[in-house]
Amino acid sequence: MKHSLKQFSLTLALLAVAVSVAAQGGATILTGAELTRVIPTGFYFQGLSAPTQMRNAAAARFGTDRYVISGLVDTSGYSTDVRAKYVGFLITDSAITLNGESLPTGAYGFGFATQGKMTVMDLAGKDLFSVPVTNDKDLKRPRPLMMSADQGGVRLYNGKDYVVIATK
Amino acid sequence: MASLASVAQAQTGGASTGAPATYTSRRTVGITDPNAPVIFEDVTDKTPLANFRHRSGEAAKDYIFETPSGGVAIFDYDGDGRPDVYLVNGSTSAAMQGKEKAPRAALYRNLGNWKFEDVTDKAGVANERWGFSVAVGDYNNDGRPDMFVGNFGVSRLYRNNGDGTFTDVAEKLGVARKGWSTGASWGDYDGDGRLDLFVPGYVQIDLANLPPKPTGAAGQGQNFCQFRGVAVMCGPRGLPGEGDTLYHQKPDGTFEDVSVKAGVNDPEKYYGFSSAFVHVDDDKLLDLIVVNDSTPKQLYINKGDGTFEEIGYPSGVALNENGREQAGMGLAVGDYDNDGRIDFHITNFSDDSNVLYHNDGDKNFTDVTFQAGLGEVSIPFLGWGTSFLDFDNDGWLDLFVVNGHVYPAVDAHQWGTSYAQQALLFHNNKGKFERVGAPPGNALANAWPGRGLAVGDLDGDGRLDLVINNLDAKPVMLRNVAAATGHWLGLHLVGDVSKKTPRDAIGSVAYLTTGNVRQRQDVVSGAVYCSQNDMTLHFGLGAATKVEKLEVKWSNGTVEYFDVPAIDKIVTITQGKGVVR
Repeated sequence: MKHSLKQFSLTLALLAVAVSVAAQGGATILTGAELTRVIPTGFYFQGLSAPTQMRNAAAARFGTDRYVISGLVDTSGYSTDVRAKYVGFLITDSAITLNGESLPTGAYGFGFATQGKMTVMDLAGKDLFSVPVTNDKDLKRPRPLMMSADQGGVRLYNGKDYVVIATK
Repeated sequence: MASLASVAQAQTGGASTGAPATYTSRRTVGITDPNAPVIFEDVTDKTPLANFRHRSGEAAKDYIFETPSGGVAIFDYDGDGRPDVYLVNGSTSAAMQGKEKAPRAALYRNLGNWKFEDVTDKAGVANERWGFSVAVGDYNNDGRPDMFVGNFGVSRLYRNNGDGTFTDVAEKLGVARKGWSTGASWGDYDGDGRLDLFVPGYVQIDLANLPPKPTGAAGQGQNFCQFRGVAVMCGPRGLPGEGDTLYHQKPDGTFEDVSVKAGVNDPEKYYGFSSAFVHVDDDKLLDLIVVNDSTPKQLYINKGDGTFEEIGYPSGVALNENGREQAGMGLAVGDYDNDGRIDFHITNFSDDSNVLYHNDGDKNFTDVTFQAGLGEVSIPFLGWGTSFLDFDNDGWLDLFVVNGHVYPAVDAHQWGTSYAQQALLFHNNKGKFERVGAPPGNALANAWPGRGLAVGDLDGDGRLDLVINNLDAKPVMLRNVAAATGHWLGLHLVGDVSKKTPRDAIGSVAYLTTGNVRQRQDVVSGAVYCSQNDMTLHFGLGAATKVEKLEVKWSNGTVEYFDVPAIDKIVTITQGKGVVR
């Protein structure tokens, strides 16, 4: 019992550190029920709604009530051309920046058709802008998509490549 | 030469299954080397295996269930010391509806001296369902190996009656799994001395409501049935996956479905293809790896209370080194670098490399594919059966991979790949692999629509031979004729059921030391791709003429040490009784 309590206290302390780290830049990375509550199960883009790969979805809360949500989708319903440029969605309920590029409130598609760049598209598939990604070669256990706290906001990872999302 | 523009690296979100690239030649056929040594000789036509024709649907491959069959097993069903061969067959829609004769699986009894006899009818193992996989295990501990045959439809458990015949007891014992059963594995996960059975499920298919054919797909807006802009069969992505099943064997010999309770039911319904019970962390409990197509792989650690913890992501096995999901097909299990821990080699789709996971210990794995020399060379191939084997008996596990594409359309386009593909043989030079070339006109220069693969010493000469099951074609039997090979030792392990080790010793591990090399071999059911290697453990000894130490960790966790009186032969070791012959 004592051992369990000690373990529980240690867990709480670790959680506190984690929240503190995540809160740097005013962002909290969502997990568990908080995450599933905000991730849409599907996303409309260029004439089709495709299911979200829930295992490859992430979200962050800025401040108390502003969210940025991202996920990869099952693009198998799209033509080869669309699949080549589109892999997932980005939803933001406030104006943000992506590596310094402004992105107003809205829902967008994104992809990595150009090596080393992330391209953001509107829902009709029109390119809005591209930003260079940074390769985090030291990242252990990369995932197809994940977020982690960054001093300037949140890192949105695709494998070992990431862009930084910040509030405006 | 081919241009390797971006290929796998261009893939982002989902599984790497075909990023467009431009090529000027096919790199999966016709690659020969006049200076390469002759390792394998194709002896198929000298055997009745030449009469076997695998069949799986129609040549156009309009539907996904027509493409991944089938497995092959090498096992000594009659206990005469000569390993026999079982070939799984597919089926056709017409046969499923009773409109034509169903293709038959086949069992070939090894008579010695490369003579085989087709004993399918006598044995009663023709299956005549849409077969995919075979996994061997002596589930009733009577000393006679039994077979689970995974089907699209209802699976079978062939009990070996010991008189040359088998009886399908799947319904009676509770393992007549429905759906699409793929690469199964036997293992005693709860340490009661009775084998349990894990069966991955692939895709849910409703024959009454099939996806559109490629020719009609585009017109119906089914873009997901495209590969590089060309209409192809649909799936697996876009189709519903199927969960996995763990059958626990009860004391009365019947089985119960404990998938949910054990935590291995795969609620995400990933597209399962291969599995194996293996010791990942080397405690006394068997763990489980599941290879999935187009979705993450699962690694289940046995908690010892009847449940498993899935650690695919934290262990590093779920994804490749770049965090990408891959289209996993086959699974090789072995300690390729002789560090005492089990490693995994997994085959993938074309335009992506196969993957080699090195076991770092403490349930951590590192993707070392490219460092080990297995990356670039495998990219144009669509891999299926893969197995570690020491073909030259130098004490280091080499690697054999069979390949073949799923889309016939690849032959009509210059995509750098082909429908029939050469197999790949890699020599292991102390942990680094190098492709062994194919001499012109040799078996390895041929291209096959390969699927299943099994390894075993069919002629007892100490050199490991191979059987490959090819889609819609005749199989290939490859005799190992390598000139420069070292000494060897074969081990046939027999567990003591009274000590709660299964009789066929599945889950037991042998460690053999010669000089400063300590090798490890595990008794494994399943893996490869829907296939079964001979469970006789084979150690290459190189120039060593004696075994300094032989340690067997039985599946019940006890350890025994044995003196090996002679080498260059197969010896039987019975738990608690030592070397008996």
